[in-house]
Amino acid sequence: MISQFFVLSQRGDNIVFRDYRGEVQKGSAEIFFRKVKFWKEDGEEEAPPVFNVDGVNYFHVKVVGLLFVATTRANVSPSLVLELLQRIARVIKDYLGVLNEDSLRKNFVLVYELLDEVIDFGYVQTTSTELLKSYVFNEPLVVDAARLQPMSPAAIFMQGTKRMPGTAVTKSVVANEPGGRKREEIFVDIIEKISVTFSSSGYILTSEIDGTIQMKSYLSGNPEIKLALNEDLSIGRGDYRSSFGSGAVILDDCNFHESVRLDNFDLDRTLTLVPPDGEFPVMNYRMTQEFKPPFRINTLIEEAGALKAEVILKVSAEFPSSVTANTIIVQMPLPKYTTRVNFELEPGALGQTTDFKEANRRLEWALKKIVGGSEHTLRAKLTFSQELHGNITKEAGPVSMTFTIPMYNASRLQVKYLQIAKKSSTYNPYRWVRYVTQANSYVART
Amino acid sequence: MAPPAQTNRSPSPSQPSGKSEVTDLKSQLRQLAGSRLPGVDDSKRELFKKVISYMTIGIDVSSVFGEMVMCSATSDIVLKKMCYLYVGNYAKVNPDLALLTINFLQRDCKDEDPMIRGLALRSLGSLNVANLVEYLVGPLNAGLKDNNSYVRIVAVIGVLKLYHISVTTCIDADFPAVLKHLLLNDQDTQVVANCLLALQEIWNGEASTSGDAMKEREALLSKPFIYYLLNRIKEFSEWAQCLVLDLVVKYVPADSNEIFDIMNLLEDRLQHANGAVVLATAKVFLHLTLSMTDVHQQVYERIKAPLLTLVSSGSPEQSYAVLSHLHLLVMRAPYVFSADYKHFYCQYNEPSYVKKLKLEMLTAVANESSTYEIVTELCEYAANVDIPIARESIRAVGKIALQQYDVNAIVDRLLQFLEMEKDYVTAEALVLVKDLLRKYPQWSHDCIAVVGNISSQNVQEPKAKAALIWMLGEYSQDMSDAPYILESLTENWDEEHSAEVRLHLLTAVMKCFFKRPPETQKALGAALAAGLADFHQDVHDRALFYYRLLQHNVTVAERVVNPPKQAVSVFADTQSSESQRPHF
Repeated sequence: MISQFFVLSQRGDNIVFRDYRGEVQKGSAEIFFRKVKFWKEDGEEEAPPVFNVDGVNYFHVKVVGLLFVATTRANVSPSLVLELLQRIARVIKDYLGVLNEDSLRKNFVLVYELLDEVIDFGYVQTTSTELLKSYVFNEPLVVDAARLQPMSPAAIFMQGTKRMPGTAVTKSVVANEPGGRKREEIFVDIIEKISVTFSSSGYILTSEIDGTIQMKSYLSGNPEIKLALNEDLSIGRGDYRSSFGSGAVILDDCNFHESVRLDNFDLDRTLTLVPPDGEFPVMNYRMTQEFKPPFRINTLIEEAGALKAEVILKVSAEFPSSVTANTIIVQMPLPKYTTRVNFELEPGALGQTTDFKEANRRLEWALKKIVGGSEHTLRAKLTFSQELHGNITKEAGPVSMTFTIPMYNASRLQVKYLQIAKKSSTYNPYRWVRYVTQANSYVART
Repeated sequence: MAPPAQTNRSPSPSQPSGKSEVTDLKSQLRQLAGSRLPGVDDSKRELFKKVISYMTIGIDVSSVFGEMVMCSATSDIVLKKMCYLYVGNYAKVNPDLALLTINFLQRDCKDEDPMIRGLALRSLGSLNVANLVEYLVGPLNAGLKDNNSYVRIVAVIGVLKLYHISVTTCIDADFPAVLKHLLLNDQDTQVVANCLLALQEIWNGEASTSGDAMKEREALLSKPFIYYLLNRIKEFSEWAQCLVLDLVVKYVPADSNEIFDIMNLLEDRLQHANGAVVLATAKVFLHLTLSMTDVHQQVYERIKAPLLTLVSSGSPEQSYAVLSHLHLLVMRAPYVFSADYKHFYCQYNEPSYVKKLKLEMLTAVANESSTYEIVTELCEYAANVDIPIARESIRAVGKIALQQYDVNAIVDRLLQFLEMEKDYVTAEALVLVKDLLRKYPQWSHDCIAVVGNISSQNVQEPKAKAALIWMLGEYSQDMSDAPYILESLTENWDEEHSAEVRLHLLTAVMKCFFKRPPETQKALGAALAAGLADFHQDVHDRALFYYRLLQHNVTVAERVVNPPKQAVSVFADTQSSESQRPHF
């Protein structure tokens, strides 16, 4: 049970504010914001998502730079409130198409409408985009999506290749498309976030894939849908790690959206569901089975005289040449007494930029794209303000990397087919099954 | 349309510009109130939006209450909703004007559109004005009997609202009995869920004064009722499922068969994508098996994988909430998680509140087979750019060392920290080496050799300085220049701001004196003189005590200051783990 809900901008302005029970004082938003902004407890610099000030519990999540906050005096389950806040953000996004400060400000009356139905007297009533549809009367005022920071990982399809319609992820569930006609389509996105830590000798210390099968359906009449996954998929990794190499995909664990029926899952790995409106995760999964990391990173640091050193970074793409990674950023902290860095890119390098961030002594190397199978090298000559003592490799690194690889997934989990219960022989909606892999924490130690 | 709050962003209610604009709005609303022109609803919408945007940013717009009510005669549902929102916010401060709204709200409660009925009923309940409750009873009664479930859902919460405005009105109208009837008979699960939460609040409130209410509250935990809910659990919304699970936690099954039945029934809830459902289920499992040690352990094993999946599938905030639960479990049963330590490795881009939890978990799960790997990992964080986390990591290494696994390898690492020449690393490591020596005096030779190389000028943090001084005193026979370092520290007595450091300095000089008298005599004299003149009471007292002790009898003094010491086996601060118990 919560008492208030509000959304604050980065500067701490109320964008929406709803008091459900009147048990928490009106100035709570200001108290909250001041506490978060100047958080300095236990040596931590970032406020945890849950804290208590004068008997009031404050819960918050950050979504696209906005703070979604709930307050209460009751002792409630933090997971429930945090989950709820995240879900409210998702419902709002479903309705507005794009979630950001601008769209919230333009549509705040619609947001109040939603909030009225989602929570009554502090208790959650529903967060189903579908159910809420019959209670919402405001038309969303759609804001321009192009220049906006995307919220979901699937938003990368917007920058996308020709195969993918860019508007899909920013389409409101209620707004009609220009022309008044609604397109029958369904999107299934397999989004994987991978975490790998390489030791200084290139050996893989830890690796994990966190995946989501996300669905967004614009099909009318709610037909039933069947999703078939790899037949040899197994779940729950007992002690039989030996199965690596057999080609089977082994998940450690997974969970499912409540609309998913698993009647045939044990038999033939198919999921049956009637997708509700809006974006939702059909299945979340986690895998620690070994996999081939898409990138190898080699780092060489050499002292070159008393006040100089050279860093050579080499990134090799170990995926097929039909696949291209984009928006790659390689970062590396440098010794704190570094004063100058001279970069040397490989001859003919295109779409690459380098930077030395003096404030936090960090080297940044950005590449627009990397084609599978290729290799890229950066040389950086460092100049120091004082003589080196000790081991320079202890002062620099680790190298971290972020990237996005469309149409590639490291786990080899696949949607074999997507079947839509037919209403008529001419009914043939668009189906989009898309894969994307992103770096979560991709680190090579030096 | 102009974006609403943009022109007027300041959250300050006393803002001067706000006032004139409110007056402006007032006159504009008044003009529209009586108008029947086409398009008037659109102009009203714009004005209403402005009013609500002011309300949002904290400008007091209660003065237009009368005008808002006058404008509310409309069939436009968007307008109605905005008006309801406004009225709900300001009725409390305008009880007299709120009476004006009763009329149209009551009329809307009889509208043929169930949605209008529901909306009106909800707003009526939200007025929160004590002397208007008489107008609430009738519509609520009708609402609870409405054939549309939406209206019933709203009406049930309305009863709870009424209870909070006026307990007697709610009880006298016999609403709890009506809710109880709906709870057991309504077909709509959201109505049932709302009845459950409303009755829980009402009977919790009444239980202290009424025996009947206490009995009713207990009846919610009766076997038939719990099973009635459990058997239908999948029909409830995910949030209502949490509500039911929270109730089941309080239920006490008769025997172990029942416990297994309930767990079998709920097992698939652990696969739910909603973290709140999974955690509520895990809580039920843990509670049910508290008295069954073996099964309780199996429950740990069973809930481990789903919880780890939740950690990695949600936002950082959700991960944190789940990790906090895991943290509790890890502290209670570290051995269950001993093979999963890699899950608690930190990722460079995680918020520091997550990293901190993970470090504590890593410390807890370390055992003979994993210590080496964990310590290696922690040492990587020590060079981290995030200084608080680097410190925390070094402390974690120290804690693991004190848990007595593979101390050999750890001491080497700690000594490497001392050689890293980063101030904060040296400082943390010194404190740890001190603790380590108290527990494992046998390592003194290796440690002292390295500590002796540290220049006291490079150590500024009080805790670290105190640790260094303690070692100088304790091991002065092994460190050739200990008396001279202590002497130079004594010379700078006035510049030492920390009383803790000065106390340690006094004691260290005393210890050193008994081990190497000729070299320390001068320093001791200076330290005692400075101590006696110290403004800090404790420092002064200790100096005086030493002075008198030396005057009284030097051998006794030596026995007091330098007794043979026993190694500390368990530090007091590590013994608090049992205090975690009440969380369950």
